[in-house]
Amino acid sequence: MGTLTLDAISRRYATTVAVERVDLDVAQGEFVALLGPSGCGKTTTLRMVAGFVPPSSGRILIAGRDVTKAPPHGRDTGMVFQSYALFPHMTVGENVAFGLEMRKVARAERDARVREALRLARLEGLADRLPRQLSGGQQQRVALARALVVNPAVFLLDEPLSNLDAKLRAEVRIEIRALQQRLGLTTLFVTHDQEEALTMADRLVVMERGRVRQIGTAEALYERPADAFVAGFIGRCNLLRGTPEAPGRFRTPGGALLPCLPQQAHHGQVLALRPERIAVATAGDGLAARLVAVTYLGAQTEYHLDLAGTRLLAIAPTPAEGDPRRALAPGDAVLALWDPAEARLLPAEPGDLPDDAT
Amino acid sequence: MAALLLPATLLVLGLLVAPMAMLFRISLNRYDAAQMMQEALTAENYLRALADPYYREVMATTLGVALSSTLLALLIGFPAAYWLARMESRWKSLATILTLFPLLVGNVVRAAGWMALLGRDGAINAALIGTGLIAEPLPMLYTTGAVIAGILAVVAPYMILTLAAVIEAIPRSVEEAAANLGAGPLTSFRRVVLPLALPGVAAGCVLVFILCMNAYATPVLLGGPQFKMMAPAVYDQFVRGTNWPFGAALAFLLLIVTLVLTILGSTILAGRSRSR
Repeated sequence: MGTLTLDAISRRYATTVAVERVDLDVAQGEFVALLGPSGCGKTTTLRMVAGFVPPSSGRILIAGRDVTKAPPHGRDTGMVFQSYALFPHMTVGENVAFGLEMRKVARAERDARVREALRLARLEGLADRLPRQLSGGQQQRVALARALVVNPAVFLLDEPLSNLDAKLRAEVRIEIRALQQRLGLTTLFVTHDQEEALTMADRLVVMERGRVRQIGTAEALYERPADAFVAGFIGRCNLLRGTPEAPGRFRTPGGALLPCLPQQAHHGQVLALRPERIAVATAGDGLAARLVAVTYLGAQTEYHLDLAGTRLLAIAPTPAEGDPRRALAPGDAVLALWDPAEARLLPAEPGDLPDDAT
Repeated sequence: MAALLLPATLLVLGLLVAPMAMLFRISLNRYDAAQMMQEALTAENYLRALADPYYREVMATTLGVALSSTLLALLIGFPAAYWLARMESRWKSLATILTLFPLLVGNVVRAAGWMALLGRDGAINAALIGTGLIAEPLPMLYTTGAVIAGILAVVAPYMILTLAAVIEAIPRSVEEAAANLGAGPLTSFRRVVLPLALPGVAAGCVLVFILCMNAYATPVLLGGPQFKMMAPAVYDQFVRGTNWPFGAALAFLLLIVTLVLTILGSTILAGRSRSR
């Protein structure tokens, strides 16, 4: 059990920078997810914590001890690999016992702890099987049990759910989270799946091209993204280019003046507006827009709007039968309305905006 | 599909099985100084070879050289194979070609090189005498050591490439998992890498052992006239003594001993890897 501190760790290769000055503090018992597109450096960061990749600079502290120079077997981390990496020539029981053997735990205690770990992972009765005789989900639980049985100071998970089918993934997600909370494990979790990160982690670290873009709770990242990349990566978001004019006014290239949160003009050049915060109406207040497409999705309906040349996506609960909005069709004139506080100016770097942000 | 196997099957039948059958038939004939051999069905060639202390010694030398060369090839080859298998850079294909390099030179040419290196007036003795470390040349050529060194240079590439293929198939993450669970490099090797590489160890040893048992040019050129292994002894009977029946019997004894030891060895290794 312990804390984990990354102090400005970097990993540079001859021509590329895989990780650049990442700072992170993980508290005792906290579950932190490293999230980002592939190639963002999240796996390299995890592998530096495990000791498989030496940092080019910076320090790594586990439970207050500087382990930057320590070999992998001297770090007291428990890792679950994406491929599970079970020992194919050992039984399930031998796999789980391996870490205890290495720690010279006495036979009787070892047996008891293996039994307990197998019970926690719901693998009773499978101790004498070989890994190849198990299903993917069972192999995944063996990998979990093997990493947890040694009570590691830090628990490391490298996309452990990516090889499971969708239904199993949802179950295992809940299982891992429950286990982590019950055992109070300090956990670092790598994933490219934002839903996985949002549902499991206490805090998320959004990475992109080797750098940390933002660290925060799921709610903080969604409601108060630090930049256009985070806004676009976490959930769906309208990201509009244009010019901040007067405080609270944003001019689109097509000339429309959009209301937004005032006094942020220095803050950035991109207006971020979540689609579900835009109300679409047929009468009343709002900016005039033309409906380009309507997508009925059962509980929700997506409205693709054209607002003086700017494309805008709005998502709303599907209106009740008889509501005039139910009959909306492409080409119709509508009104789009939002609370100006929901439209935020964000800084953006080149490449942060996908070409069709809506 | 079955029809596609026909050419290979015919080739094996015509060029391997038929000559072997003929050779076996010859080994049962009787030697005759005048007409070379008489048609017969006798085991006397085999009995003579088994009874003769000279050929027993030749067989013992052959086994000794083959077993120690195989063991040394394994000890030298494993680290090299591991290094080769875990290599990631673009130099990997170059390293593979360099491993194969000794095989690009014929046995005789290579042995001549060893002779130039190890002889009384060879490069090593010249250097040692030149620096004043020794006064008299060291006897290195025409020793068992010279033969083993020469054979090793031939068989090491086979061992290394066989082992590397198996080690490459062991996922690196499995080794990382061992390290993550607290195993140091030696423990990780003993408990994870070696057990998983056992099939490759078995295959490499069998291949190399067979090559060693049948070595010809290297023992003749580096062992000198006094040094005898089985393959040169068989050659002597066929070409110098023109005693084909006895030569054939010696060849079959060599084949049988090699086969029995190969089967025995691989059975033991296979058993080990299964029980783990």
